[in-house]
Amino acid sequence: MARRLPAMIAATLLFAGPTLTTASAQSPTPQDETITFVYGDSSEPSSFSPFKGYLATEFYFWAWSYHLPITFAVDDLGAVPDFVTDTEVSEDGTTFTYTVRDDLVWSDGEPMTAEDMAFTLNIYKEKHAYLPQGYLGLVESVEAPDDTTVVLRTSEPTSLYSGAAPYMYTYILPEHVWSDHADAPKQYENVPSVGSGPFFIAEYERGQFVRMERNPHWTGPEPHIDEMIYRIFNNDDAVAEALKAGEIDFAYIDTPNVFNSLEGEPDIETFVGPIPEFDELAMNAGSAYQEPEGAFEPHGDGHPALTDPVVRRAVRMAINSEELVERVQLGYGVPGDSIIPPVSIAGARWEPSDSERIPWDIEGANQLLEEAGYTDTDGDGVREMPPGSLEPGRPLELRYYTQTNDQNTIDAAPFIRSWLEDIGIRAEVTAMSSGRLGNELNAGTYDLFHWGWIPDPDPDAILSYFQCEQRPPDGRTYGNNDAYYCNPEYDRLYVEQRTTLDPQERLEIIHEMQRIFYEDAAYAVLWYPPTFQAYRTDRFTGYQSQPAPEGDLLSGYSRDVALSLRPVGGEEGAGTSTQARGISAGVWVGIAAGVVVLIVILMLVRRRGVSEDRA
Amino acid sequence: MRRYLAGKVFQALLTLAFVLAFNFFLFRVMPGDPVALLLRGTSALTAETVRDLRRDLGLDQPLPQQFLTYSADTLTGNYGRSLTTGAKVTEEIGSRIWPTVLLVGASTIASAFLGLLIGIHGGWRRGSRFDLGSMGFSLVAYSMPEFWFGILVLLALAGGVGFFPAIFPTGGYQTPGADLTGFAHVVDVLNHMALPWLTLTVAYLGEYALIMRSSILDVMGEDFVTTARAKGLREQQVLWRHTVPNALLPTITLTFLSLGFVFAGAITIEYVFSWPGLGLLTVTAIDEKDFPLLQALFLLFSAAVIVFNLIADLLYAYLDPRVRAG
Repeated sequence: MARRLPAMIAATLLFAGPTLTTASAQSPTPQDETITFVYGDSSEPSSFSPFKGYLATEFYFWAWSYHLPITFAVDDLGAVPDFVTDTEVSEDGTTFTYTVRDDLVWSDGEPMTAEDMAFTLNIYKEKHAYLPQGYLGLVESVEAPDDTTVVLRTSEPTSLYSGAAPYMYTYILPEHVWSDHADAPKQYENVPSVGSGPFFIAEYERGQFVRMERNPHWTGPEPHIDEMIYRIFNNDDAVAEALKAGEIDFAYIDTPNVFNSLEGEPDIETFVGPIPEFDELAMNAGSAYQEPEGAFEPHGDGHPALTDPVVRRAVRMAINSEELVERVQLGYGVPGDSIIPPVSIAGARWEPSDSERIPWDIEGANQLLEEAGYTDTDGDGVREMPPGSLEPGRPLELRYYTQTNDQNTIDAAPFIRSWLEDIGIRAEVTAMSSGRLGNELNAGTYDLFHWGWIPDPDPDAILSYFQCEQRPPDGRTYGNNDAYYCNPEYDRLYVEQRTTLDPQERLEIIHEMQRIFYEDAAYAVLWYPPTFQAYRTDRFTGYQSQPAPEGDLLSGYSRDVALSLRPVGGEEGAGTSTQARGISAGVWVGIAAGVVVLIVILMLVRRRGVSEDRA
Repeated sequence: MRRYLAGKVFQALLTLAFVLAFNFFLFRVMPGDPVALLLRGTSALTAETVRDLRRDLGLDQPLPQQFLTYSADTLTGNYGRSLTTGAKVTEEIGSRIWPTVLLVGASTIASAFLGLLIGIHGGWRRGSRFDLGSMGFSLVAYSMPEFWFGILVLLALAGGVGFFPAIFPTGGYQTPGADLTGFAHVVDVLNHMALPWLTLTVAYLGEYALIMRSSILDVMGEDFVTTARAKGLREQQVLWRHTVPNALLPTITLTFLSLGFVFAGAITIEYVFSWPGLGLLTVTAIDEKDFPLLQALFLLFSAAVIVFNLIADLLYAYLDPRVRAG
C-alpha cells in the first residue's frame, strides 16, 4: 500500500504544476506608482540617534535626512555650504557668526531655524554625544540671536569652524522633537525621524530593513525616487544572491571572493572604490617604559626593543605592503604609508617623497639593526639587544596578535612573520577575539598587533588619537593611542594645527605631523582596503562616486545621490524590487490541500490495514 | 505518583536556579570590555565618553551589587534594556519569538512526522532497498552541517542555478515596503519561510528517522511481537498496534527535547536566511556583547529545555508505568 505514496506526490505536483510560477511574473498585485530604491549590505545599524550611532551604516540615513552646517562635496569631499550659507570669523579667531538658511522645513511641517542648530550643538556637547562631541572640543557657547544667525564662541583661536572645511560632522536636529528628550537623548531611538533633508527614516525592523520616505515639505530639487529601503543581510552570499535575483538594486560586499563571483553576471556592474580606511601593524612603543604623565602610569610588558625607533623602522622596512595587497587583498586596495588615507579632504594627505619613503628592504633593515648593535651573538638566528640598552642580551622575540573575526589579519600574519624572521626577529602569532585584544592593548601586554581604523575625511580626529594624553592610562581604561606613541613635538603640532587660522598653514602642519608619525613608525600602515560595490544596470542610474572618480557610489557623506538616483528608462521603468517573490497563493492552497489529502489517505490505509482482520 | 511529580518539579526548579546564577557570572568572566568594544574604531572618543557610557550601562557598580540587582530584577520580570538598542529586553525578545516558533515549530513537526514514517518503514523492512536508501539519506542529512546545506539551498532556489529556477526570496520574514495585509501577507511570509523551513526539515529529519529505525529494530525482537505474529495478526497490525506504540517511547524524549530547543531557534539557519528570530537575535547580541539581552535569552532557552524535559518526564510516566514505579 505504501508504494502508492510517490504517485500521490507526483499527482499533487501535477495539479499544482501549471500555477508554479513566480509571483512577479503573474498579473501584478495592486501596484501603485511608488518608485523604491533598494540596497543591501551585511551590516546592522548601531543606532539612528546621532547621539550614539557610531557605524558607517547609519551615516547614509543621516546624510539623506539631515543637514550639516557645512557638507562634503561629492567630487573631492571639500566644503559645500549646507545649512550655513555664510561664515564671518572675528579677528581674534574665537567668534564665528553663521548665516543660515531660512527656506528649509522639517518633515513634520515646522520651519528649520538657527535655534535648531544652536540647540543641537549645545546638547551634543552637554550630553556627550559619542561622535559629535569630539568636534565641539574648543566650543564654549553657541547662541542664536535671531532665526537666521548662529554665533559660536571658542576657548582658543582656531580655524576649524571657519567653514573652509567640513569639520563639524554634526547633523542638525529639530529642537521641537529633541527638546522632549533633552534629559536623556541617548534613550531616544529616533524612529520614525523628523528630517530636514529630502527623506526621513520611516520604519526600522531590526535585522530586516530600514525604510525611508519622502519629506513632503522638502523645498530643494525633487528626487526621482519615492522611497529608499536598506535590506540587512547576514552574509555576503545572501547579498550577492539577492542582487542577482533582482531583490535589491545595489549591494555593498565585504569579501573579495564573493565580489569576484559577481563579475560578468548579466545586468550587473561591479565597482571597487577606496574608502577612508587603513589596516596597520602596531608596535608597543613603550607602555612599560614611559614616564608617568598626567593620568598615565607605566604599565604592561611590551618588548623593550620596540621603544627604539630604529627597531620599529626596521620592522616597517621588512614588510612588503605591495605583496600583502596582492596576496591578502587579492589585488584590491592600495599599499599603505600615512595614517591619512587617500580618501580624505583635499590636501590633507601627506605622501612620503622618494627620499622619505621607508622602502621594503630586508638587507637595509638588517644593516640598520646591525649598526644599532642588535646582533645575533649566540648564532640562533635571532638578534639580541645591545649592551647598555634597557635589557642587554634579551632576544628579539615578539608576541604578534591577530583577530579571529578579521580574516585579513590572519591571512597577513604568515607573510609578516617570515619577513621578520629574515631580519632576525622572531614573532609568535596568536589569534584572539577583538574583545580580548582590546583588553591586551589597554593592559599594554602585547608587542605587535594587526587592526584598522576608519578616519573622518577631516584629519583632526585621527591625528588626535596619537597624542600622549590618549594613551590607555592605567592598564584597565580604554585609550585610542593603542601603540603608546608619545612624542611632545607631535603633540605640540596637534594643538597648533587646531588653532591655526590659515587653512593652508594648517594643512602644512598636518603634513608635518604625518611625516613625524611615519618616521617614528609606531604604526606600520599595511594597506588601504577598498569598498566593493555592485549594482543592477537595468534598474537605477544616477550613481555618483564620492570622492570622484571611484569612491562610494551612494555618496555616503552627502545627500547628492538621493537627488540624482532615477529609474533606468524614466519613471515608468521603475524597479520591481519591492514586489513579493515566491509562489502564488493558489499554489500554497494546492500544497496545503495536497498535504491534507495525503494524511487522510495514509490514515485510511493504516486503519484498513489494521482493522481488516477484525471484521 | 504525587511524590514522583513533586520530585521532578523540584529538580526542574533547582536546575533553573542554578542556570540563573551561572548565567550572570558566565557573561561577566567573558573577555572583552563592552565599552571599549562599543567604541573601538570610532572617532572623537575620550576618556570622558567611556566613563559616561559605563555609568549609563550600570557597569561601574561592583560585581556583587550587580548580581543582587540582577537576581531581583529577574524574579520580578525586569530584564533591563538592551545595551545596543536601548529597548526593553522583553520587547526585543517578544518581537522575535514568533518567527522562531513558527519556523522551527513547523519544521520540527514536519521532520518528526516524515522522519518517524521513514524510520518505521525502514526498520520494518530492514535491508530492503527503501531501508538502504533512507538510511543513507538520513545519515547524510544528520551529519551534514546545516548552514552549508542552507547556503546550497539559498544558491539553488533563491538565486537560481542551472535548471533550478530562482523561485523564493533570499531572506527575511516579509517583503519590505510591500505593505501586504491579510491573506497576501500570509502567502508572503510562507514564501519567505519556504527555504529555511526546507533546510531545517531535511536537517532534523535524519535524526528522527535513525532513532525510530533502531527503536523499531529493538522492539521487533521482543517476545510480544512474536506472540502477535503467532496469533495470526496481519503484518500491518503487528506493526501499528504492537511494535510502533512501544518503539515510540524513546522518540518521545527526543521530540520533547527538540521542542525545548525550538526557542533557541536554529541559529545558523536564521543567520543564513536573515530570519528575524531568536537565533539571529542571539548572534547579534553575542557580537555586540549585549549582556542584558544575552542573559534573558539564555535564561529563556534554558527554561524552555527544562520545562519540556519536565513534560517529557511526566508524559513518560503516564505512558510507561514502569518509570513511575522506578
